[in-house]
Amino acid sequence: MKKLLFLTVTLVLCSSVFASADFFDTIQSVVSPDSKEGKIIAGASQMLAGSKDIDYKTERTIGEGLALEGLTRFGNPVKNDQLQQYVNLVGNALAANSKRPTIPYSFAVLDSPVQNAFAVPGGVIFVSRALFTVLENEAELAGVLAHEIGHVAAKHALKSTQRAQMIQGAGAITAASVGGEKGKKLADTVGNLQTMLFDKGLDKDMEFEADLAAMETVYRTGYDPAAFIKVLEKLQKLEATSKDKNGSWFSTHPPLAERIARLKAKLATYPDYSTQAHVDGRFQKYVKMK
Amino acid sequence: MRLMRGLPMGIKMGMCAVVLLCASIACAEEKRWVASDGTSLKVEASATSENVVDLLVGTEVSVVETGGRWVKVRTEAGATGWVYAGRLAETRPSAEVAGTDDPLFGESMKKSQITTAKADSARSIRGLSPETVSYAKSRGTSETCKKSLEKILGRKVSAMDVRSFLKEGKIGEYAQNTGRGK
Repeated sequence: MKKLLFLTVTLVLCSSVFASADFFDTIQSVVSPDSKEGKIIAGASQMLAGSKDIDYKTERTIGEGLALEGLTRFGNPVKNDQLQQYVNLVGNALAANSKRPTIPYSFAVLDSPVQNAFAVPGGVIFVSRALFTVLENEAELAGVLAHEIGHVAAKHALKSTQRAQMIQGAGAITAASVGGEKGKKLADTVGNLQTMLFDKGLDKDMEFEADLAAMETVYRTGYDPAAFIKVLEKLQKLEATSKDKNGSWFSTHPPLAERIARLKAKLATYPDYSTQAHVDGRFQKYVKMK
Repeated sequence: MRLMRGLPMGIKMGMCAVVLLCASIACAEEKRWVASDGTSLKVEASATSENVVDLLVGTEVSVVETGGRWVKVRTEAGATGWVYAGRLAETRPSAEVAGTDDPLFGESMKKSQITTAKADSARSIRGLSPETVSYAKSRGTSETCKKSLEKILGRKVSAMDVRSFLKEGKIGEYAQNTGRGK
């Protein structure tokens, strides 16, 4: 108890004196995230991160850097313009009904054999080709895209690292400043977020929040929100037999059973959900083309 | 108050009760906020009905009547019409969302109330920002990846494209009685 109290007081003092991203990130890297100390540090770090807003331009710059790293790691977009346009139409229809409808969103299907989807700050969202093997209709695709939109809308990735604050701290980011100290901080932030988004995954509460936001967005747009639960149930079955989980939704997201249970509870708040759209034919038409 | 002088106490109390009742009805009027981009006030409860006025995200409206998935509302400016229920929220969107936080088109959209079509054209001029080009250079990112991201960011999806897409799929405000889409 004394140890925890000491740690908390130290963190509060340090945050007020240094407000240093590197300080928090360094401590986070040496303390087990599941330990009591790790959770306190993560919470304090998130509180501090959430206390300052990052402007959209900086957010977008971090996101585009991360998008480049994502393309390098997971592969380039599937060469099928009609499929890409189709996914962008579904995604933009959802984004207009999200909690952050006034920024531009872009979507791409990547030629990756790993079942995954991820969003980078600012509104670029990727879905892997492999994930389409699990999906059966447009409402299911909508659930996956809306989950990722939920992360962008709530700025989950940015709230997960203090480094992002440091980029903005020294004035607006410009092409010229990317070459200097600011560029180093941008690279550090993108590197830090890469590990979080592609390997470790975001905080599980953020995932639950994105799930519930997805259901609301899907419902408000007019798709059946139960379709998202169906996707997670199919992934749950796949997880049981999957040997390689690296980089997939299995490795970067909280246990599917818990997510499904929470979503089923939320579904009860939409009494007319089963009358909402599934759209099978159009989905099959575009997805078979891939 | 002078007008009420000389009136019997019972009538005075009755008049006060009527005033209080009217005030309570006005206060009880349900409020909603526009939560979706590209929302229009419609003459009738139908997506294909004529537009009365376009409503920006964050606009406060008062509920006049509900009819299934459509809500009849009145704006603060006094315009009345129908809005699809999915486009309204029971709580006010955050100031950031309502004001739109994209400097490329947000402020102009907020201040001049420009049309969705103009906002769309602003969205479509996106490509790699100079900062991203510098970042890619410093990281030695391949030309293929840079071109891929440029193509992703440059893809055009207008509000009209989205409306046509929803209409074709019979989704949301375009749903028929079955609501299942095709």
